[in-house]
Order: sequence, then structure tokens, then C-alpha cells
Amino acid sequence: MNVVIVALGASFGAFFRNELTQASRKVKIDFPWMTLLINIAGSFILGSVTAKIKDNVLLLFLSTGFCGGFTTFGTFNFELSQLWFQKQYLRCFVYFASSYSLGILGFILGRII
Amino acid sequence: MQRLISFLAVFVGALFGGGFRYLIGLVFQSYGSGFPLGTLFVNLTGALLLPLLIHYLHDRFNLSAEIVLSLSSGLLGAYTTFSTFTADTQRLFASNQFSFLALYLLATMIGGFLLALLGNYLAAYLARREYFQRKKEN
Repeated sequence: MNVVIVALGASFGAFFRNELTQASRKVKIDFPWMTLLINIAGSFILGSVTAKIKDNVLLLFLSTGFCGGFTTFGTFNFELSQLWFQKQYLRCFVYFASSYSLGILGFILGRII
Repeated sequence: MQRLISFLAVFVGALFGGGFRYLIGLVFQSYGSGFPLGTLFVNLTGALLLPLLIHYLHDRFNLSAEIVLSLSSGLLGAYTTFSTFTADTQRLFASNQFSFLALYLLATMIGGFLLALLGNYLAAYLARREYFQRKKEN
């Protein structure tokens, strides 16, 4: 049963991520800013959800499900590798450093606020 | 119609991706040392598979755009996770498990990046090898 709850949450998360990523392509900036925003926002939401929600089913749906599916590690590293192969080393480093620092910061802020 | 198809593609892919992530987490949890092996495993394997899918399997099996969307944004997008990584990091820090924390950060940050690079190289290698094999046969 739990696996169905997580899978459904992940599907909604992935759907929103995909919609936001598709919409972001209209802005012609050569930087994967939307994945960065998604990973920071998703970490913030996860922090907030784990601190506030006590109902186990809802928590599983929102945390491991929604936030897990909304944020992504695969796409993030794929985009890092593309910047690397395009020799955009500075952008690659900025993307790497900002994702990890702001993502962790986002989670902590979510827990506090 | 096109929107509905891409919605279903991502939704169904993520259904499996999220489910696999959860089940793999359960398998690793039973080893219970407090080290987030499950998250590390899905993230590292996902980082390796995504470039292989986009730069190799896509052409190799003539996958349609919808299938690639379903497998990349849907399945692998939901299979891997960034938010759980940040939660694991905070938990290891708050519980003073600093050697686990250092190991986890290093393995995720450096490992994820190196495996993504490796996935690209592997995709290029496999595509080249098959190209020359076909050339030889013709």
C-alpha cells in the first residue's frame, strides 16, 4: 500500500517538474535555472512538510512521494555533464555549488519556518 | 491531445520511478546502519543511466519522443531525488554522524558528477562501436 502512495505522490511531483521545465524553455538563458529552482523549492517544501505534518500517510505522499518525484538528481547531474562537455566550466561550477548549498539551506529553512 | 499524451508519459514513468525508489529504500533500510545507502544507490545509478538513455538508447532502439520523455523526465526523474538528499544531510549533521556525513556528501556530489560524465562517455563508446560494426557488415 505504501508503495502506491509514494508512486502517486512522485507522479504528481514529476508532472509539475516537467510542466515547469517545459515552460522555462521559453526563457532563452543558457543555464538550467529551472531545475535549480525546483531542487531548492522541493527541498524547502520537504523541510517544511517533515517538520509540520504528523499524519503518516499524508507525510509519505508529500515527502518521499511528491518532493522526491518533484526534485531530481539525475537531470541535475545530466545538465552538469552537458555544461562540462560544452566547456562551460564556470557555469558548471556555479550550478554545482548553488544547487548543493541552496538546496541544503532550503531544507533547513523549511524546517524552521 | 499532445499535452495529454505527454502528461500520461511523465505520470506513468514517475509512478514506476517513485515506486522503485521507495522499494530500494526499504531493501537498504533493512541493513539499518543509519547511512542513507538507498538514496545514494538510486541517485548514483540514475545519474549514470540518464545520459545513456538520452545519448545512446534513444537512437539505438529508435525510441519515440514520448517514450524518452516518460523514461527521462518521468521514470529517472522520479527515481532519483534531490530533496531526500538534503534531508539525509541535515539528519546526519543533527545526529553528529560526521564521518557518515562526509562520506555521503563526497559520494553524492563527486560520484554523481563522475557517473554522469561516465554515462556520456559510455553512450559515445557504444554508439561508435555499433556504427563501425554495421559498417563492417555492409
